[in-house]
Amino acid sequence: MISIETLFFTIVNRGKANAVLRKAKECGATGGTILLGEGTVQSKLLDIMGMTETRKEILIIPASGELDATLHEILSDTFKFSKRNKGIAFSVPFRRWTLDASEQEHNISLDDDRFSHCCLFTIVDKGRSKDCITSARAAGARGGTVIRGHGAGVPADSYFPLAIEPQKDTVLVITRKDKAAAIRERIFSDLELDKPGNGIIFTLPVSNTSGLVENRIQERKGGTP
Amino acid sequence: MSLLFDKTKDVAKTLLPVVALVLFISFVIVDVETDVIIRFIVGSVLLLIGLTIFLWGVDLAMNPIGEHMSMEVATSKSPIKIAILSFFLGFLITVAEPDLLILGDQVEGASGGTLKSFIIVYMVSIGVGVMVSLGIFRLLRNKRLNMFMAITYGIILVLAILVSQEFLAIAFDASGATTGALTTPFVLALSLGLSNVKGGKNTEENSFGLVGIMSAGPILAVMLLSIITRQKHIQGDAGEYIFQKGVLGPILDAIPQLFIESLLALLPITILFFIFNFTKFKIKKGEMITIIKGLIFTLIGLVIFLTAVNSGFMDMGRILGMEIAKMNKGLLIGLGFALGLIVVLVEPAVHVLGEQIEEVTGGHIPINLIRTTLSIGVGSAIALSMVRIVVPEVKLWYFLLPGFLIAIILSFKSNPVFVGIAYDAGGVASGPMTATFVLAFAQGAATRIDTANVLVDGFGVIAMVAMAPVLSIMILGTIFQRKKVVEHPHDIEDKETVAVAPTNMDDLYHDCLLVIVNRGYAENVVDVARQAGATGATIFHGRGTGDHHTVKLPIINIELQPEKEIVCLITGTDISADVASGLVKDSQLEQEGEIAVYISPTVAMIKNLKFDNNFLAD
Repeated sequence: MISIETLFFTIVNRGKANAVLRKAKECGATGGTILLGEGTVQSKLLDIMGMTETRKEILIIPASGELDATLHEILSDTFKFSKRNKGIAFSVPFRRWTLDASEQEHNISLDDDRFSHCCLFTIVDKGRSKDCITSARAAGARGGTVIRGHGAGVPADSYFPLAIEPQKDTVLVITRKDKAAAIRERIFSDLELDKPGNGIIFTLPVSNTSGLVENRIQERKGGTP
Repeated sequence: MSLLFDKTKDVAKTLLPVVALVLFISFVIVDVETDVIIRFIVGSVLLLIGLTIFLWGVDLAMNPIGEHMSMEVATSKSPIKIAILSFFLGFLITVAEPDLLILGDQVEGASGGTLKSFIIVYMVSIGVGVMVSLGIFRLLRNKRLNMFMAITYGIILVLAILVSQEFLAIAFDASGATTGALTTPFVLALSLGLSNVKGGKNTEENSFGLVGIMSAGPILAVMLLSIITRQKHIQGDAGEYIFQKGVLGPILDAIPQLFIESLLALLPITILFFIFNFTKFKIKKGEMITIIKGLIFTLIGLVIFLTAVNSGFMDMGRILGMEIAKMNKGLLIGLGFALGLIVVLVEPAVHVLGEQIEEVTGGHIPINLIRTTLSIGVGSAIALSMVRIVVPEVKLWYFLLPGFLIAIILSFKSNPVFVGIAYDAGGVASGPMTATFVLAFAQGAATRIDTANVLVDGFGVIAMVAMAPVLSIMILGTIFQRKKVVEHPHDIEDKETVAVAPTNMDDLYHDCLLVIVNRGYAENVVDVARQAGATGATIFHGRGTGDHHTVKLPIINIELQPEKEIVCLITGTDISADVASGLVKDSQLEQEGEIAVYISPTVAMIKNLKFDNNFLAD
């Protein structure tokens, strides 16, 4: 197991994040932050009716290497991440920036072989998240989670002194590293991110995962995730 | 689990207690015809289906339409255009409201024809238009809601002295009628959209309140009408009520009429939207299809819901009211409380409001807490209404006047987010369920008590339901405020701009900074980061926990997690250290914002950056 500082991400159904956080605290986590998001379902019938969203919560817990491993083990066991639609978890090697540590060099590289997965973040204008997920799927991704947010304010030209905060959708896609490039390019070209203002896409390394579809397939085959 | 399933579960959870209580009463306490019971059960199933579809349609259509409209309103360059636009929005959605037409006819009948139905409908619609217009100006000008509402209700209180008891009741009832099943979700979406477009630190508190402001319009309009026309008293009695026979007959009979009513109510919003889409927003085809689907769901859902309520619940409510009033007056008050407690949760707008509160506060204000408070408020309102029916000496204004006075006073002490929610709750709670089931229960009770007047007492119930949640949520907001850690934001210190030496590094390599701060400090984070050379940022709302900041409310034992904002920044590797250090060094962010900065290397493709196709592919 890799011993580095991480942010432990969990995506569970709406309303369950508090329970997960309580359990995580029992394991030694100090706290966490919860965001509201929307997941996707794949179903032809529901698609025709326009019902392709499920409500999710995204829980982010700062963890060190050991705690990270414990969280993966205990949380996926308690909340049955290995079963379909129960939730997923993944760790991104985020380093906490403090005044004392600020001079430290990056010791993590994206190309690191230890990272088997990638997390793609695409930030686009509100309403385009669906297109983004469609593109990601076409390139081999399983699905995505959408988080609603807004960009930093830009002053608008209107009667009232408003700073219009453009609404943004952030799409989070977890995928194996070998698929990442294809998905990234597909999204990039389909959503025309080469044009300024259309959005950005960035990739974060993922050091550990549980509950992904790929993990389940491997488990079924008798292999280790 | 799809969202549809979630929604069905959510609706079922609120509907079950109502069904259980009503069936319990009708089997154990009073004797109800089998036909009515079966119709009630069929109605409950229809209600479950209808409300779920309706809420789904609101999600798909009403919310996006509200957002587009609010964008159009907020970015207008002339105040006259904003005023006219928002007036017409308010006017059009009200004038087509079926409930209002029914009320108009009732008043025309009751006033012996001196007050024409169409005059009432137009006066009320103009009232709503003016108030929506003022409300939108308030929001964009960033005026405090509590002050605005204090002035509005101040005027109402003065007028209330001038008008008769009957018109006081009709005025509040008109307000209940205008905040129908369709208008409330639309205005909620409009208000949310406006405050999102406007942004700034008060986004949260600005997201609510427009429904509250809007529902003051009819009250003012009817009172003014009464004063101008010198109409003081209404006579007459409610016509003889005819119970429907059979099971399927009444249900099928109700559909065509309700379909036309629902279609009429939905049309103004739809037409307005298509006109704007044609001339202004021109949204993409995919989104358009979703919105059209949503509009169809909204219509179907609304028809099924109203059919269920009108044919399945109305007779049941009336019979229960009559039978219980005959038996025991104490029991009437007690069961009134119990019914109010659970019936309000089936109101469509209560579901919509709950979802919006969750979205806006990132889950910080638990929906269940709001629902519980609403329940207690409405339960007390119905119980007190029963007291009024039983004891003729007790007048409506005994409750209304002090209720609103206390609410106004508390609005200055309450948590600002709750002020908006509280005023909205009044309009939200008095929806179609109250207007049919609860009203029928009260009227049924009134027919069996000689001293009660079916017409006047019936009108008063809705006024009570519109007032009580305002008060109860305002009290909750005051408790919230007292429990909250008081923060004293200081002015931002001037910071030296960190000099950035542009270095030519690989364009692809960036750093991703996730910054977690307390609610309200995201803008400071962006400011500081910009000084250090960062460009854009995306902000998310969430809630978080550190051990020492969780507030527990006594008795109900709900944990309140403080709200957080998460700022996501992508910076070049050359400046990321400066940005991160700049943020951590900022004393205000550190002490009050409780900032935490996380950094990770990332591969980012921003605008025209070239990228290596083989990158990351092993």
